[in-house]
Amino acid sequence: MKIATRNLFPWLLLTPSLLFLLLFLLVPLLLLFDQSLTNVDSLLNPLPGYSLTQYVTVFADPQYLHALWTTLWVSLLTAAITVLLAWPAAWLLVTTQRRGWRTLLYVILISPLLTSVVIRTFAWIVLLAQNGLINGFLLFTGLIPQPLSLLWNMNAVIIAYVQVMLPFAVLPLITSLNEIAPSLRLAAMSLGATPAMTFRRVVLPLTLPGMLTGFIIVFSLAAGSYITPLLIGGRLQPLLPIAIYQQAMQIANLPLAAALSLTLLVMTLIVAGIAGAFLKRWEKKNHG
Amino acid sequence: MSSVVIDGVARQFDHHRALNDVSITIEQGEFFSLLGPSGCGKTTLLNIIAGFLSPNNGRVLIGGKDVTALPPYQRHIGMVFQNYALFPHLSVGDNVAFGLKVRKVSRSEQQRRVTEALKQVRLEGLAQRMPHQLSGGQQQRVAIARALAIEPQVLLLDEPLSNLDARLRKEMQDELRALQQRVGITTVLVTHDQEEALTLSDRIGILGQGELQQIGAPAALYRQPANRFVAEFVGQANLFHASAHNGLYQARDHFVVAGSELQLSAAQPASASSLLIVRPERVQFSTEPQQFTSNGSVASVKEVSFAGAALRLVCQLPGGGEIRVQPAEAHFSQLPAPGDRCYLHWQAADVIVLPAQERA
Repeated sequence: MKIATRNLFPWLLLTPSLLFLLLFLLVPLLLLFDQSLTNVDSLLNPLPGYSLTQYVTVFADPQYLHALWTTLWVSLLTAAITVLLAWPAAWLLVTTQRRGWRTLLYVILISPLLTSVVIRTFAWIVLLAQNGLINGFLLFTGLIPQPLSLLWNMNAVIIAYVQVMLPFAVLPLITSLNEIAPSLRLAAMSLGATPAMTFRRVVLPLTLPGMLTGFIIVFSLAAGSYITPLLIGGRLQPLLPIAIYQQAMQIANLPLAAALSLTLLVMTLIVAGIAGAFLKRWEKKNHG
Repeated sequence: MSSVVIDGVARQFDHHRALNDVSITIEQGEFFSLLGPSGCGKTTLLNIIAGFLSPNNGRVLIGGKDVTALPPYQRHIGMVFQNYALFPHLSVGDNVAFGLKVRKVSRSEQQRRVTEALKQVRLEGLAQRMPHQLSGGQQQRVAIARALAIEPQVLLLDEPLSNLDARLRKEMQDELRALQQRVGITTVLVTHDQEEALTLSDRIGILGQGELQQIGAPAALYRQPANRFVAEFVGQANLFHASAHNGLYQARDHFVVAGSELQLSAAQPASASSLLIVRPERVQFSTEPQQFTSNGSVASVKEVSFAGAALRLVCQLPGGGEIRVQPAEAHFSQLPAPGDRCYLHWQAADVIVLPAQERA
């Protein structure tokens, strides 16, 4: 009896959050799935019964296939660049000794998260536009004869993604770096490894879990965001979240929007699942 | 040829002086221990030998070569860390091969030396395992094998056994000593465990408050401690301040001890302000009435604790002082109890005389 109550207690504590997740995550997902299977006529009037028409559209229409493919590689690229840039930042944060400096660096790191998405995005427009600061500077110095088209393309989208998602990649890396016992680096050096070899053979491999975790988070966020690409890339960018937004909010084709959403969700889960499997294998190999 | 020479090494941290003018010469093939309480500077000294810290003053020579300015990875040392510091992402074999890989030793030679090193520590056949799959004792052995694989000039051990349980620690001590003898490698051990240092070492350097207190063979440190610090740190000690001021009989080599009506006579010359030491295990304990004029007293048992082969007793002296006694357990048909009257006695040769010095 005593054991039973002890086992129940954590569940009791979890009940509110579980209820919340059930009502606002699981139920909507099921409704979305139901929605995506709705049979509609050409004027979007519901017909009785279920149909896979929407999924056929998603995978047969080159426009959506292209969007799926673009979303995949843009998100992969964003995640890769972010993790790459996060590494030196994490290293700096971990090795900074002075408390005050470290706090300042943390504030700088999370400042994009503290800024409204609208302000952040318009700041990019101010910087990247034809008459923006960067073009102005380059024209002024005579480095370019006419303004470059920096905005309204995928590069700008990726740059903006990387900016806002950097903290999500830095924080897991900091955790990984802090878990490396200082004696490991000393041991490597005592065995004859130069600082560069120590970094390559000991420190870098041991931050793999941090890199993978950051990669998964950034990939998932990038694959799902639509405000940043809409404002910086424009509504014509072939990205699934933009397509979903247009179908749901502008054309009101909810069944197609639902089918696109679930496709995006599955794609994200597959990539996150693969990276997660790597992570799990690494953990199992190194920590049992 | 001397293998490691520490020449006038000093090190300061901020305003704290961690090491003050320490000089030690360690011979080729010697097992040398740096023994002292925590904060005495022994780990600082080891880190200076390894090259993780640089001294503010003085030099370090390894194999006759001045390495003071060399980084650790150019010193050709083998180091075993307290927490073993095995690379968690590498198998046992790859851990042991690490030092060979970074030295660009050929694959076949790597293979040979890894096998050899694992054999030395009796871990043949575990090369494929990951560190987390090993017990603490096995991880310890891998750490030793990894350090030995590069055939270093000196093996540095930083409290390597302190994370093991008591039984395993004893076992590893014997094994470590046997291994060191077999390989014949110069070894420097840092420890706070005096028993470990006494068991393993050819010589011990006692460090206290950043100063080298005494260097000597284990028996010499035990029998002739240079000062009170060493006497109290190596083995147990009953300390008595010789006194000339309480009016009782007193002559050269014959003392009345302050605080108790005890008379000591030593076999060594001493002065009235000397510190006298009697080891608890040298005190003869008896419950049969005996008469003493010197080096003995009637007393009463105050505390008894059983420690296997020996008993640890604290006895109350008639004048008010206490004395620790450690008689063999086999000596008693019935164990003494607190309050028992007892008769304590020791030989004049067992009274260690320390010169007068400032109170520690």
